Amino acid sequence: MTQHDTIAGGDATSPPAIELIGITKRYGAVVACDDVHLAIRPGRIHGILGENGAGKSTLMKVLIGLVIPDAGEVRRHGTAIRINDPVAAAEHGIGMVHQHFSLVEPLTVWENVALGDVGRLDPRRVRARVGEISEQYGLEIDPDDRISDLPAGMRQRVEIIKCLRRDPEVLVFDEPTSVLSPAESEFLFNALRTVVERDGKAVALVSHRLGEVMAATDEITIMRDGRVVESLSTAEADARSLARAMVGREVSLRGDVIQTGSASDHVHRDRTAEVPVLRITDASARGRDGRVLLDRLSVDVHAGEIVGLAGVEGNGQRALGDVLSSLLALDSGRVEVESREIPTGRAGAMARAGVAIVPEDRHHSGCVLDFSVAENMFIADPERVARRGLMDRGEMARRAEALIDRFDISCAGPDAPMWSLSGGNQQRVVMARELSHDPRVLVAAQPTRGLDVGAIEYLSEQLRAAARGGVGILLISTELEEILDLSDRIVVIANGHIVGEMINADVDLERIGMLMTGAAAESGVPS
Amino acid sequence: MSDLGTTSTTIDEERAEVVAQARERSRRGVTVEVIGLYVICISIALALAAILVAVTGGSWTAVYTAMLDGSIINSGRIGLTIGVATPILLVSLGTIVNGRAGLVNIGQEGQLVMGACFAAFAAARLDGPGPFVLVVAMLIGVVGGALWAGIAGVLRYWRNVPEVLSTLLLTTVAANLMGWGLRKEWLLLAPASGRANRNQVSEPLPDDTRIPRVTWFGNEFPISAIVAVLLAIVLAVVLGRSIIGFRLRMLGTNPGTAMRAGVAERRYGVAAMLVSGGFAGLAGGFMLAGGDFGNYQLVANFGAGIGFAGLLAALVARQRVLIVIFVAFVFGGLRTGSGFLRATGVSGRIADVVQGLLVLALLLPPAILYVRERRRALAATSARV
Ligand SMILES: Nc1ncnc2c1ncn2[C@@H]1O[C@H](COP(=O)(O)OP(=O)(O)OP(=O)(O)O)[C@@H](O)[C@H]1O
Ligand SMILES: [Mg+2]
Repeated sequence: MTQHDTIAGGDATSPPAIELIGITKRYGAVVACDDVHLAIRPGRIHGILGENGAGKSTLMKVLIGLVIPDAGEVRRHGTAIRINDPVAAAEHGIGMVHQHFSLVEPLTVWENVALGDVGRLDPRRVRARVGEISEQYGLEIDPDDRISDLPAGMRQRVEIIKCLRRDPEVLVFDEPTSVLSPAESEFLFNALRTVVERDGKAVALVSHRLGEVMAATDEITIMRDGRVVESLSTAEADARSLARAMVGREVSLRGDVIQTGSASDHVHRDRTAEVPVLRITDASARGRDGRVLLDRLSVDVHAGEIVGLAGVEGNGQRALGDVLSSLLALDSGRVEVESREIPTGRAGAMARAGVAIVPEDRHHSGCVLDFSVAENMFIADPERVARRGLMDRGEMARRAEALIDRFDISCAGPDAPMWSLSGGNQQRVVMARELSHDPRVLVAAQPTRGLDVGAIEYLSEQLRAAARGGVGILLISTELEEILDLSDRIVVIANGHIVGEMINADVDLERIGMLMTGAAAESGVPS
Repeated sequence: MSDLGTTSTTIDEERAEVVAQARERSRRGVTVEVIGLYVICISIALALAAILVAVTGGSWTAVYTAMLDGSIINSGRIGLTIGVATPILLVSLGTIVNGRAGLVNIGQEGQLVMGACFAAFAAARLDGPGPFVLVVAMLIGVVGGALWAGIAGVLRYWRNVPEVLSTLLLTTVAANLMGWGLRKEWLLLAPASGRANRNQVSEPLPDDTRIPRVTWFGNEFPISAIVAVLLAIVLAVVLGRSIIGFRLRMLGTNPGTAMRAGVAERRYGVAAMLVSGGFAGLAGGFMLAGGDFGNYQLVANFGAGIGFAGLLAALVARQRVLIVIFVAFVFGGLRTGSGFLRATGVSGRIADVVQGLLVLALLLPPAILYVRERRRALAATSARV
């Protein structure tokens, strides 16, 4: 997007607001950041790209004082500063917009914004300020809404407002869109554009999505193995060369599929006569607050088939994932695996029946951050590495080692604590575990969130291979490209109900779009 | 190809080696730090206590000599300290179990009292050979403690009552129940013939249903101490290496993942509370039948704060089973040592303050470490991407 270069507020030559010089951070033998230089200029959005484990998050944590570098310095308008903790970072005008953790769910929006303030609390002032900010930047929100009622996109708005209220000079975002729907992402980028243009603020943005980096940023820095391998202006970049610079080899990109229409190599067999490995019939469920999560949802998945569940975020995908993780009980309807009814909401029942799942929120139900990588590989069936009830640590480490190799997980070893892994590598651990258990059904919910382009390519291959091996795969994704790329059959979910179905070979994008937004209801819904 | 393979293994091995070394270094660093922290905290507490004693007109050297004499130096005192440490250790073991499951039980004192009451009630009514009655009474004590903690567990999972509150409230209830039972002859009160008038005590256990005592190097203590240490070792293995321990830890750190992996929150959570209370109940039974706490009978205020001491010991040991054995001994020593303080002419209240200061000194380092670790973990995970 070349027009950004000419817009007032900043250009490639303006002196940086924040400059990182020679930043190095080691963790034992791992060099997370290796002599990194980075200049973030006012009025510009600076994209940071890199493979999983390249050191992007570590670099951002240096900026906001969560990580103290071993060497190098941070300069603000040319003078060296020390950032020892987030409070110091805030004093220096650097704020981070956190993903999904720092909000207190039972509290309202304005209460959350006021949280962490010192001194007397003045609800009226805080409320007014929230209104002001939301108006200024087009971040519409009701200050009296309860956080627990808000979808991911709105929660992020609260985080942004929280951050903007301190009037920072530099805003740091680490994979902000991994929890957002495409529409919400677009909204976010519009708001960011306003922020940088109007007030000359600077933004550092980490993302794995080349498309949005190309569209939303002004300059790009690419990291690999802790080092900066390329810095360029977005105007000179194209997705293919970015991907190559990140991964160090050619990769095929998702976007290609739609453009070339190569999706039609999905052969479709008529399987209606076969017994499905997973059959969900008339599933209905309500949340604790009585909201309808699933509404007579029915879907079949056959052995060897990849079924893509398309839909706008927040239409019941999460509830479906929870049901198939045994976290949520159905009010009515049934789930069958190979014709056997599986009780819902009973701990471990789905896992025992052979339903593997890569959950949408891995920190909630996919892994234990305080456990080691090896322990995380065996949380569902420690029996496999145990004798007479006692776990065999050596055996566990050996097997974990094999999975680490096979899935190319970058970590210090099987004993490394899960929290020390980069986000993408945590996701790989979850994938490795679920695929290594010989599942009958694999539910992959937003499986590529947080994965780099190389890893996405690899994951797609793994999913296809699993399907070829006879696993029935239910792919839940809000990214249409991903669904089109992988699925044999596509079902569309809206308001907790399946509103349409089609095979990938004769997919009609326009119709899917209409179904997803609820603009068209379908009569031929399978029941 | 094979060439590549071998180089990559050696690099991996090298890397693993470096990581292991770094970890070893940091572990040593932490140990030195922990010891340093303790030295500092205990020194400060000792100094403060000394000043306090001196200001109130006592002799602080006499106080410290008395503490050491009373707990370990004088002949036979180690045995006494072991006897006192035994129930403290058992309570701590239970505390570690519920801690692993992510539950907070602070009502061990009440569970201990219930255990003692159940055991006393059973012992007074069971017929049969002494050792048999003893064993059964102790097991019934376990049941008593487990039930008392189990109530809190059930309230937590079926009625959403925080277990911190319910366990504490149930402690008050337990104390009152014992007081009431000690007024009814059909419950706990000893028959009038066996006691001084108006004394509210239970019938002392007969000689053959008391826990045998052994003498090692001039130190006499009940064999329940050995049982407690064996239980600690078993528990260390179960929590550290078994599937059950693994699942319990999972529940304590991430209930969502645990549920998905087949750890039913209610089942494991309530079981953890039952085990926790069971340990406290056993502690109560051992106090009753061990001989280091009164005359083998229930009296008013029987718990004597041992439940709270055990809770503190578990906190000081930072929930680690083998360390808690040592910490329980230190806590036992604080009690037996304080027994000698009276003889120095220091007033009872001052003696209590001295003891409190020392407990605080023991608690402070783990608290500091905990806060710092939490902060580090937060830093590592707060931008979890
Ligand atoms: N606290 C830590 N302890 C040990 N190793 C760590 C720690 N934090 C990060 N690392 C390691 O440093 C490297 C860089 O991690 P970082 O989180 O910065 O990657 P990233 O670029 O954000 O990757 P992703 O795209 O997967 O989020 C990884 O190999 C990771 O395992
Ligand atoms: Mg990251």
